[in-house]
Amino acid sequence: MRKYCTLVAALSLALALPACAPSAQSSGGKVHLTVLSWRPEDTAGYKKIFAPYEKSHPKVTIDFKPIKSTEYLTVLPTELKKSQGGPDVVQLKPYGPLQSYVTSGDLEPLDGKVDVSNWPANVLQAAKGKQDGKLYGVPYALQTLQVLYNKKIFAQQNLQPPTTWAEFTAACDKLKKAGITPMATSGLQPWVLAIDHQIFGATRYGGDDFEKAVLTGKKNFTDPDYTASLDTTAKLRQYFPDKVTAVDYPDAQTLFTSGKAAMYPGGSYEVGPFTKSTPDLQIGFFDAPPAPGATVNHPLTSGYVDGSYGVNAHSDHRAEATDLVKWMATPEFGQLYASTLKQISLVPGTTPGDPLLAQAYQNYKDHGATYMMVVDFGYGNPLGRDQEGQALQKMLAGGSAADAGRFVQKGISAWFKPNGG
Amino acid sequence: MVQAQRRLKPRATGGGHARRRSLLIFLIPALALYSVFIVYPLISALEYSFYSWTGTRRGGFAGLSNFHDLLTKYPLSEQVWRALGHNCLFFVGTMLIQTIAGLTFAVLLHKSRRGKRFLQTAFTLPHLVSPIVVGYLWSLMLNPQFGAVNAALRGVGLGSLAQPWRGDPHLALPVAIVVNAWQWIGFPMLLFAAALAGIPEEYEQAARCDGASSWQVFRRVTFPLLTPVLGIVSVLTFIGNFNVLDLIYALQGSQGNPTFSTDVLGLLFYRTAFDNPDANAIGQSSALAVCMFVLIFGVSIAANRFFRRMEDRLR
Repeated sequence: MRKYCTLVAALSLALALPACAPSAQSSGGKVHLTVLSWRPEDTAGYKKIFAPYEKSHPKVTIDFKPIKSTEYLTVLPTELKKSQGGPDVVQLKPYGPLQSYVTSGDLEPLDGKVDVSNWPANVLQAAKGKQDGKLYGVPYALQTLQVLYNKKIFAQQNLQPPTTWAEFTAACDKLKKAGITPMATSGLQPWVLAIDHQIFGATRYGGDDFEKAVLTGKKNFTDPDYTASLDTTAKLRQYFPDKVTAVDYPDAQTLFTSGKAAMYPGGSYEVGPFTKSTPDLQIGFFDAPPAPGATVNHPLTSGYVDGSYGVNAHSDHRAEATDLVKWMATPEFGQLYASTLKQISLVPGTTPGDPLLAQAYQNYKDHGATYMMVVDFGYGNPLGRDQEGQALQKMLAGGSAADAGRFVQKGISAWFKPNGG
Repeated sequence: MVQAQRRLKPRATGGGHARRRSLLIFLIPALALYSVFIVYPLISALEYSFYSWTGTRRGGFAGLSNFHDLLTKYPLSEQVWRALGHNCLFFVGTMLIQTIAGLTFAVLLHKSRRGKRFLQTAFTLPHLVSPIVVGYLWSLMLNPQFGAVNAALRGVGLGSLAQPWRGDPHLALPVAIVVNAWQWIGFPMLLFAAALAGIPEEYEQAARCDGASSWQVFRRVTFPLLTPVLGIVSVLTFIGNFNVLDLIYALQGSQGNPTFSTDVLGLLFYRTAFDNPDANAIGQSSALAVCMFVLIFGVSIAANRFFRRMEDRLR
């Protein structure tokens, strides 16, 4: 209790003594903008990205203020509540987790202030208020989901990226026989299992058609196609690391980067850190082939928006902050962001800063699918992603697919009501 | 009786007024810190729990609806009871291991002459390390791929006993209990050792003269005299275990993986407050905090009374 009390006390103090250290000062006519982010590892990159903006806006200086990602969500609410001296521009989680900041009135609506006229609606959805439909941020990156593989191991074992499920399982069997873990993944973290399911199960449950059927109430998560897709994923356990239920996320990453595992189902966000930590690791990727009984007969590249940058409604420099966010919707920022941080920028007309990501982005445009558990079923407690991951954990511990489907349905229906029909 | 009277009647001292004032001056800093960091948050959490919230904006008075949510709204309704159950198991398990092992070590060390200091320090050492660090170190040792525990088992030919320690829903909580007990074992051991040192040797000698065996001496003479310490250990362990957050967070993440099998009230509070897509996160988490406080405070007071009575019976 004392721990929480101290925490609450710290919060209350932060509320009560807001103006101790104003970070946005105007000194000598210069406006100092603070950008709050959960990416400490990108500090140098952002400095490079903001340099041209500071040059073209001589009256503005930008201070990139990162907070450890695990602490960001506990810090952001108090930072936004400061009536003075809070951050001006803040990095925002997409979809559901954005909503409480919108309803608190802590974010500035950006409709008509930023030019996003040629952006796809499903991208903007990530930064919109669910209730008012207003735009509260400029989305910055797309993450795609696919299977990464170690090119060297594939060459040694004389393997090609599989195009059919039979080729895929044959490759896994061959690797296993050679004493190499076919795929590295974490069974301990529900969100990792949910990503595995999206990668291997999307073709089985039917991709966006199924998603729409659930959204309109025609189907739900006890649907046999959906439970079969859970089963497809759980059955891959034989190709996962030994005792996968106890393998943690960093362990899975290490298994892949150290060359102990040949494949790694994961997000495009892994490519940058993997190549940085292990420069001689040659990474390729492929989309999982359609699973047996798949209702979509071609591979799907699932994707979702990573987040957006919004303006603090209590900022002392709302005009300047809005200008900066407006710039973040231009190809100049998009390209700088994509090239410097090796990401897929969402600004139309930009190319990802890495050939691998460029290919992933192209695949997404050609045969993309929505990561529905994050995009559509992430607006209430429990998050779809977590519930699905827990369901898969239950299956790995011996539960049935039908029970897992009912468990997912029970969780989502606690807050989700289908509309239309 | 004599003791009790002494307790009630403080020795009269001259200049009571001035003394009281100087006492007050010395108390003020602590009192101020205590009020700001303990009393004020407690009261504000209580206040918060009676309002509905949208994000960080406070809405109207909600009466008991946040508490109602805790008990009826899925998934909270399920998680609260499950977490409470885990806390109970965590406490009972820790208490059993810690008390039995701590008492055994204390008795053995009390009798031994050599290496006493060293062993006492060694057993108490984990106590000095932050639970976050302990959790992290054990998560490395229990790692199924690179961990020392499974490697050691395989090394001595017991590879079949190697387990996914943190990943099996049936094993994860017992493992967390063992790690917790491992960390805190030195604490009851020190308290028991101090109490043992305070028991006059004549008691044992007298019992021996009456023909008591070693076990009878321990069971009938030594152990009853340790009741006050057992009371302190129980209450402090109860408070610590019902507030546990850091160790389990480091071992099993904020979701009490796998499938919430290690979820405890502390983690549930953390998730409800900071990782909750529900707009009313502050209301729900404050309600949970209030419930936790009432439970821990109530049980602690009741347990204290119980052990007081046991002590009184000894006199």
